[in-house]
Amino acid sequence: MIGKLSIDLHKLAKFTNLAIPILAILFFVAGLKVSFYFHFLTVTFLFLTIINFFYLKVQTTHSVLRNFGVLGQGRYMLESIGPELRQYLFANDTEEKPFNRTERAEVYRKAKNIDSASSFGSQFEFDSSEIKIRHSMFPISKDKLIPYRLTFGEERGVANSYTITKPFMISAMSYGALGERAVRSFARGAKMAGIPMNTGEGGYPKYHLDEGCDLIFQMGTAKFGVRNEDGTLNDDKLQELAQKDSIKMVEIKFSQGAKPGKGGLLPKEKITDEIAELRGVPKDRDVISPSSHAECKDIESTVAFIDHVQKATELPVGIKLCVGRPQQFEELVLEMKRQNVFPDWITVDGAEGGTGAAPKAFIDRVGMPLFPALKSVNDILAKNEVRNRLKLLASGKLVAPGRQMVAFCLGADAIYSARGFMLSLGCIQALQCGNNTCPVGITTHDPVLQHGINIDAKAPRIANYVHNLEHDLEELLASAGCRSVKELTFDHLFVPSESTLYPFIQSN
Amino acid sequence: MKNKAYIFSWIAQLIAVVIMGQTLFFKFTGHPETIAIFEEKLNMPGGQYVIGIAELIACILLLIPTSVAYGALLGAGLMTGAIIGHITHIGWEGNHLTLGIMAIITLVSCISVLIIRRSELPFIKSALKEQ
Repeated sequence: MIGKLSIDLHKLAKFTNLAIPILAILFFVAGLKVSFYFHFLTVTFLFLTIINFFYLKVQTTHSVLRNFGVLGQGRYMLESIGPELRQYLFANDTEEKPFNRTERAEVYRKAKNIDSASSFGSQFEFDSSEIKIRHSMFPISKDKLIPYRLTFGEERGVANSYTITKPFMISAMSYGALGERAVRSFARGAKMAGIPMNTGEGGYPKYHLDEGCDLIFQMGTAKFGVRNEDGTLNDDKLQELAQKDSIKMVEIKFSQGAKPGKGGLLPKEKITDEIAELRGVPKDRDVISPSSHAECKDIESTVAFIDHVQKATELPVGIKLCVGRPQQFEELVLEMKRQNVFPDWITVDGAEGGTGAAPKAFIDRVGMPLFPALKSVNDILAKNEVRNRLKLLASGKLVAPGRQMVAFCLGADAIYSARGFMLSLGCIQALQCGNNTCPVGITTHDPVLQHGINIDAKAPRIANYVHNLEHDLEELLASAGCRSVKELTFDHLFVPSESTLYPFIQSN
Repeated sequence: MKNKAYIFSWIAQLIAVVIMGQTLFFKFTGHPETIAIFEEKLNMPGGQYVIGIAELIACILLLIPTSVAYGALLGAGLMTGAIIGHITHIGWEGNHLTLGIMAIITLVSCISVLIIRRSELPFIKSALKEQ
């Protein structure tokens, strides 16, 4: 009979567990008879024997170590570097989540101003679920494009209306989720690029203000920075903030795509003395924002609250939400019509949106994805003839021109992105955002790790990224035969039957 | 409670560093008695430099807060070797008794540090964490 060569790991482990003490004795004898240098090995194996005894007989938490001893550590060691090995060596260019290597590389190239042309063919699936953009047989020349311009607050005639000239904005990331250097890099980059930056719900802005970029102050459900003790809005604090030159607009966050129906979450590992002070919270536990605003008990009070903030700040005021039920959103719109109060914009955040920390079930399972949600919102606003009363912003994995173009076709007026800008800053998708151990120093307060970011070197990457996104958008618009994003419609999309947008084709 | 344990750990670390450190002078300057032990008793010509460098590394690791546990591990290993040497080759007569007792004191110090800082040890901490 021919025996097959195979490795029985349990037998190997048993052999090792026996061999370690025997080797310790053999080396002791060798140290005695041959050379004292053998005692280096005697001591090493003596210690291994002690550790192995601890694993096999004393500790009770790890079954693998109880059965396999030191060899069992091999599993934990390899497992601990698994994510790195997969990312470096084994993962396909299009299989990583949330952003695969192709998508990340596109952002890196844009941020570094390297030509992003690809060769030979697309890595995408062409027969299944990928939405495509319908080009025109007669593309227009780029000099026919109408320069982009969007004014928030013009519908209400707000005195302090705010105009953007590029359809991109840095989405909400709080100081807390981000470290100081990352905030400064984003803010300085935003100023260079001429785009606004959302402060996130991290309390009174500090480092954002130092860099002098245009800011959208985000008011989360906990109202950090503008709250009373009981969690309600402190009008005086809000007005004081709204009078600052840099604060151009205010965004009320109702929900976030990564954790809709839950408030923000900042793990205690990331709460420094300064953050505790800026937010007015204790240091020794996770900060969990309430799931809704104290003022907003129902649809009526929610719309009244928007009105209140608009009057208090005299700035354009928008809302951000992730859609759960389109019908519920329609009820909100009807109430807006009844009270004749409209936010100056609505940000539709897709469930695929990013976060520093959120419960896994919420990241994975709660909320509508961006495209069907955005399409529903746009349709509901149009159906009720109020689409012209506000602007529509889209966010949720919109890091590259392809998906951004789809969002424009679904009705978006401008694009919010957070992770796109993080990637520009050097994010390597290590998925450590909630642990204060970000290896590139973006989502950490550890000064040693933050050393990785040189603000002067990184801020221009933000500007490069915006510039190259704008370039690609112009090319795509020209190929579609449209002079501006306003001319893009749902008909510019080719939607295959597997797509989440397919039901809208049928209902149209 | 934890702070007291750490103060005790630092006292033990300093004892180990002082004892190992003062022998380095004899090892690196080639004191006749040291050479006699390494060449005649242990049959390790030049061994004082090998052991001396290892002890110097242990001393440095014991003084850097992030690597104390590793320094204690190395120190404990070296002292175990030293005690084996006393038992099998050197013996405990006269001056050798003093040296042997110092090795034992250092070993006890290092093991105390290891016990106090067991949660910092790479192969142990994961098994201790959830207990």
